[in-house]
Amino acid sequence: MSLAAHLRAIVGDTHVLERAAELLVYESDGLPGYHRTPSLAVFPASADEALAVVRELARHDAKFVARGAGTGLSGGALADGIVLLGLQRLKRIIAIDPERRVARVEPGVVNVTLTKAASPYGLHYAPDPSSQTACTLGGNLAENAGGPHCLKYGVTLNHVVAARVALPDGRVVTLGDEDGDGREAGGYDLLGAFVGSEGCFGVALELTVKLTPNPERVVTLLADFTSIDDAAQTTSAIIGAGILPAALEMMDQATIGAVESSIYAAGYPTDAAAVLLVEVDGAAAGLDDDVQGVERICRAHGARDVRVATEPAARARLWQGRKKAFGAMGRIAPHLVVQDAVVPRTKLPALLARIAEIGAANAVRVCNVFHAGDGNLHPNIPYDASDRDEATRVHAAMKQIMQACIDAGGTITGEHGVGLDKLQYMDALFTADTLDAMCRLRDVFDPARRANPGKVVPVRYCRERRPKGLTADGGRQTADRANTADGLPPQDGVHG
Amino acid sequence: MTHRPAALGELSELIVGAAAAAQPLRLIGLGTWLDGGAPVAAEAEPVSLDAFGGIIEYEPGDLTITVGAATTIAELDAVTAAHNQWCPLAPWGGDGGSVGATIATATPGPYAHAFGLPRDLVLGLECVDGTGKVLRPGGKVVKNVAGFDLVRLMTGSWGSLAAITRVSLRLRARPVADQTWIVSVEGDAIAAQRALRHGATSPIACEVLPSDRTAAGSRLLVRIAGNARYVEAARTTVRQAGHAEPSDAGAWTAIRASAPAPSPRGALSDVARALNDGVKRAFDPANVLNPGIMA
Repeated sequence: MSLAAHLRAIVGDTHVLERAAELLVYESDGLPGYHRTPSLAVFPASADEALAVVRELARHDAKFVARGAGTGLSGGALADGIVLLGLQRLKRIIAIDPERRVARVEPGVVNVTLTKAASPYGLHYAPDPSSQTACTLGGNLAENAGGPHCLKYGVTLNHVVAARVALPDGRVVTLGDEDGDGREAGGYDLLGAFVGSEGCFGVALELTVKLTPNPERVVTLLADFTSIDDAAQTTSAIIGAGILPAALEMMDQATIGAVESSIYAAGYPTDAAAVLLVEVDGAAAGLDDDVQGVERICRAHGARDVRVATEPAARARLWQGRKKAFGAMGRIAPHLVVQDAVVPRTKLPALLARIAEIGAANAVRVCNVFHAGDGNLHPNIPYDASDRDEATRVHAAMKQIMQACIDAGGTITGEHGVGLDKLQYMDALFTADTLDAMCRLRDVFDPARRANPGKVVPVRYCRERRPKGLTADGGRQTADRANTADGLPPQDGVHG
Repeated sequence: MTHRPAALGELSELIVGAAAAAQPLRLIGLGTWLDGGAPVAAEAEPVSLDAFGGIIEYEPGDLTITVGAATTIAELDAVTAAHNQWCPLAPWGGDGGSVGATIATATPGPYAHAFGLPRDLVLGLECVDGTGKVLRPGGKVVKNVAGFDLVRLMTGSWGSLAAITRVSLRLRARPVADQTWIVSVEGDAIAAQRALRHGATSPIACEVLPSDRTAAGSRLLVRIAGNARYVEAARTTVRQAGHAEPSDAGAWTAIRASAPAPSPRGALSDVARALNDGVKRAFDPANVLNPGIMA
């Protein structure tokens, strides 16, 4: 029997796809510009089926890529001629324990669905990627996803208590302590290592995550500035004053324009050079003092106007433009380069000026929409991949922006993951010995390198360590091909 | 004889030599807490890491700091306090221990409930593994998902995978108002502690005072912090929990010092054990770094 036939026997005929037209749906993730077609796609309905699939794949020595909702922004969930293991049917919320403030869920549960289920208990799941209405908790775990409210509440790593994991060879292990607080009962912090491993260490079958009490009161402020530098300086001033907002987001004029001309129009002032969206939440006591503090700091740094929203509908409207900004950029051009660099907060003003210079020098349109409070930049560049000249200029600008962020002491990805898209920057950020050590860790979980091969660490750093008896490449994804987005030339990385 | 490598290169050479000679090493931070963990092989030669100290990079506006691993918690506290900031690491044990040992043992403290465990506060590391390789995983920015997470792997590895030489940490602004109270509660102290922690105006730390475990009632040490109005409301909550008397921040130093040494021991399933052994072999194939300490 073929692999496909074995998989059909586990999940049923309709949940294994092999025809090219059906697989087309799975050739991209949330980042336009990368297309890779899986050899087949399989969709188990339960943890037991998922485990049986993983074991069948192991028996056939088949490489595979686990995928949640496919909303990732790094090309990480693409399967290039190998098996795609879709987990979105595993969407049971197994239990919510309001006393311990934890939930046990399957990996295909959509992020916001858990928050809705927890709301009768006055709780929510804190990490809130902008794709939270679609992305899955399993995908969030694999990517160590962030979101606007991670400024105050922390990223996925800080909210996962335990994960029951199928290792690529089919063994099952619980990482973390289901009864604990996010640390093994003993041994190394393998849960910490697993979170953010981008599907390279195994497949989560079940997650135990923390639930966070809903704040008593939430206030959202929108401050508009005639200078992007003023907005950036305001960010540092708010944090420096000892106020820790739940979220502190910035959008520049290009982004505001894209949002306001879309169906997601949020009433942002289109003539502003930048707006700051600041959310303050927590206990009602003392909250207004922080709100007034934020407003005062904004005005002292040149804000033209500060709008304060306290009602849920008004707050949601202010947030809508931010949460849908990436989607709104789809109106500008068919492709979008999405960056995710992080710089030390105090370097934001200088970096934003440098990004503007780089955009102008390469004649590309950079739209900045980002988590300013964390220093987590998203300079996005809409472009048309069929225009070779424009694509080449976008590629050049992207590399220069990334290098500027690395030079400023930053990192290449704060929450989207490396996937395929950022492989090219890994050796500018880490030493060869550090990259080799990452490969050593991967080999503990997946010595055969069958889970999401060719992602995260450039293949050349792992080659020397390849165990005997295995073929030299990681599937069809060689480093050269993997680094190439549509319309862009093969990339040779940046060098610091 | 205790080895005292003065620089990264020397430490690396020392480990390479030990691995070649199959000579076990016992990594020592400042030596304040050697009774945690399982006993290391008797023939192990001690290696002091006290040369790797000092504040390496501190830009207060970033609310991050990079320090040498031998920097004491007290030093970290003093340097950041000068800029009205602090690091909530404050581990059980006290302020005399080193930042490196706190991370290596993943020792939390009373503020972990509010601000996170060591794994939540550490941003990046420099360390030398059992093959003598210098690794620099993570970074110094507050959000970072680049590459597989060797930072979390090393945090709590008790020096059995690598010798930590540098640590980058997340800091917080010091609260405007900050009060410590001793609250006498009747009945179940753990329930009272939980009620306070789960309340809207939750304290940043709330511990049952150990001396009271046999008494009819119990006393909680409670720290409330935030802006003035928040602390006022939190104080009302604390007073409702029981008879409250003001104390001072020094009480936290005392309660931290009274805690027993931490330990890495805990039950592991067969598969988890196999993964742990695999990690050890991957980073210390000659089994020379603190051999046996995780057992």
